[in-house]
Amino acid sequence: MAVHKRTYRGYSGGLTPAWSRFLILYRQGSRGLFRSRFLTIFLVACFFPPLVMILAAYLSHNAILQPFLKAPNKPLISIDASFFLLFLQIQGAFAYVLTAFLGPGLIAPDLSNGALPLYLCRPFSRTEYILGKMSVLFVALSEITWIPGLILFFIEASLDGSKWMWDNLWIAGAVVAGSLIWILVLSLIALAMSAWVRWRLAAGALILGVFFIGAGLHGAIAGILRSDYGVLVNPVALIVMVYKDLLGLLTVSTSGAQLGPSIEDACVALAAMCGICLILLARKIRAVQVVK
Amino acid sequence: MPESTGQSGVIVFDNVSKFYGDVLGVNRVNLSIPPGVTSLVGPNGSGKTTLMNLMTGLVQPTAGRISVRGVAPSQPELLFGFTGYCTQFDSFPKGLTGFQYVYSWLRLSGRPHAEAESMAWAAIDTVNLREAAVRKVAAYSKGMRQRIKLAQSIAHNPSVLVLDEPLNGLDPLVRAETIALFREQARAGRHVILSSHVLQEVDAISDQVVLLAGGYVVAEGQIRGVRSEIQDHPMQILIRCDKPGALAARVFQQDHVVEARIHADRRGLLIKTRDPEQFYLLLNQIALNGIEIESVAPADDDVNSVYEYLIGSEEATK
Repeated sequence: MAVHKRTYRGYSGGLTPAWSRFLILYRQGSRGLFRSRFLTIFLVACFFPPLVMILAAYLSHNAILQPFLKAPNKPLISIDASFFLLFLQIQGAFAYVLTAFLGPGLIAPDLSNGALPLYLCRPFSRTEYILGKMSVLFVALSEITWIPGLILFFIEASLDGSKWMWDNLWIAGAVVAGSLIWILVLSLIALAMSAWVRWRLAAGALILGVFFIGAGLHGAIAGILRSDYGVLVNPVALIVMVYKDLLGLLTVSTSGAQLGPSIEDACVALAAMCGICLILLARKIRAVQVVK
Repeated sequence: MPESTGQSGVIVFDNVSKFYGDVLGVNRVNLSIPPGVTSLVGPNGSGKTTLMNLMTGLVQPTAGRISVRGVAPSQPELLFGFTGYCTQFDSFPKGLTGFQYVYSWLRLSGRPHAEAESMAWAAIDTVNLREAAVRKVAAYSKGMRQRIKLAQSIAHNPSVLVLDEPLNGLDPLVRAETIALFREQARAGRHVILSSHVLQEVDAISDQVVLLAGGYVVAEGQIRGVRSEIQDHPMQILIRCDKPGALAARVFQQDHVVEARIHADRRGLLIKTRDPEQFYLLLNQIALNGIEIESVAPADDDVNSVYEYLIGSEEATK
């Protein structure tokens, strides 16, 4: 019989709050973000449209240039909901491309290296793991969507006065809400694909594929069935509907009759996509993979 | 603190079963594992890793109850405060150096920066990897990877250490150092649960073994106790003496002796007996009657033999 003296002393120091531990994964994931020269150049390129738009806003208020920029009856550049819709669409497209580059590297390497047991044999849950990975995308995509959107809004407000700001504050809310919905959809699709396909390149191709296939199906349904409901499988078209609705630009017929899927349908379709991604993640993010 | 709740001594499996769909992981496991080095031994697919995953809460049992020092694996915040796990496979998040690897896991376990840093270096020193710690894990050799995995499992000073095949890929010197580390951990009163295919080493390290086959616990306990329970195979005893021929003639008169074979160097006799107790009594008489006996030692009460008797035949029939 072995005799053991209990001489060890367990850790008795303080612990960091449990809610903050997913940030370790953010730190880990974002570390490699700027190692790729291409990604750095791409991120810089993402800031060009907001800069151009800020310049446009400035020029539209420039007293010297006013006579040249004004058409006979209206200003050449109107800083309104349509202006911000354009901003959201451009930055949304950049966000999509950035996700296709960043997303595959988040979960696929952990799965192919069998690292999940190591993450999950800590006081750290699967939800926190997904949150940690998602936070990498959330921060990167926020930097090119709603943050420059808000900067653009407040620069315009500083140029146009507080009345414009208070009158159009809902536009700022719409920019933030629209961007956050798109970030959520993109992140979940990227993480699900990254978890489902362990090969990084294939995961990247699949993320791009999801959107192209969606757009293709949309076109096919519209062409063959003469139905607008194909939009429900096209995430890009859905988010544009959401943007338009948030910015009050969604068109309805003058008679009030429904032209195609409603904004509620679009929201349900986006929620369903997110739900499917969550199910895929729940199936794949497990400490132990059983190969039958 | 988690550790204070995790002191109730043993790891208990109470009628635990785990099925992966219709695939059996382990079935009806009843174990009570005291502190010390416990080795899980069995062929591939016998349920060793499943048992480890169950006690670390990585998989939930289909039936039964598990308690690790009084804490259920469904309470990760408590359990992982005093449990360290070293997985069988290489599992390294990309791009990390050895230090970052150990440090990150400590941060993920809730250790603040300064403490995580000092604890990481202490663990790295324990496994003798300080110089390599600033290099990326991807550039490590197999043995170094094993050591850095071990470092992450011991870094938070756990009282339960679960190690899946921890000796794979280690060179003899490091292997000896690692075994010494396990013994040291066990001497301090920790649970060191390990699985290994290297039976000779299991024999040298373990305070007790758990033999598994096909998802069932075939035997458990101290290896000599397990051997004495195996009635199907007569006990083998090697006797070193000056007159093995005469000794063979004497012992063959006994019914319980089923075989006696003179050793190749003609200075020993290997006998097989169904009643070792009776045989040892007989040996006392023989010693008094002119045969000089140098040593008497059981020849098959090691893990290797027990494994062969209990599992080897089963494997052979597959």
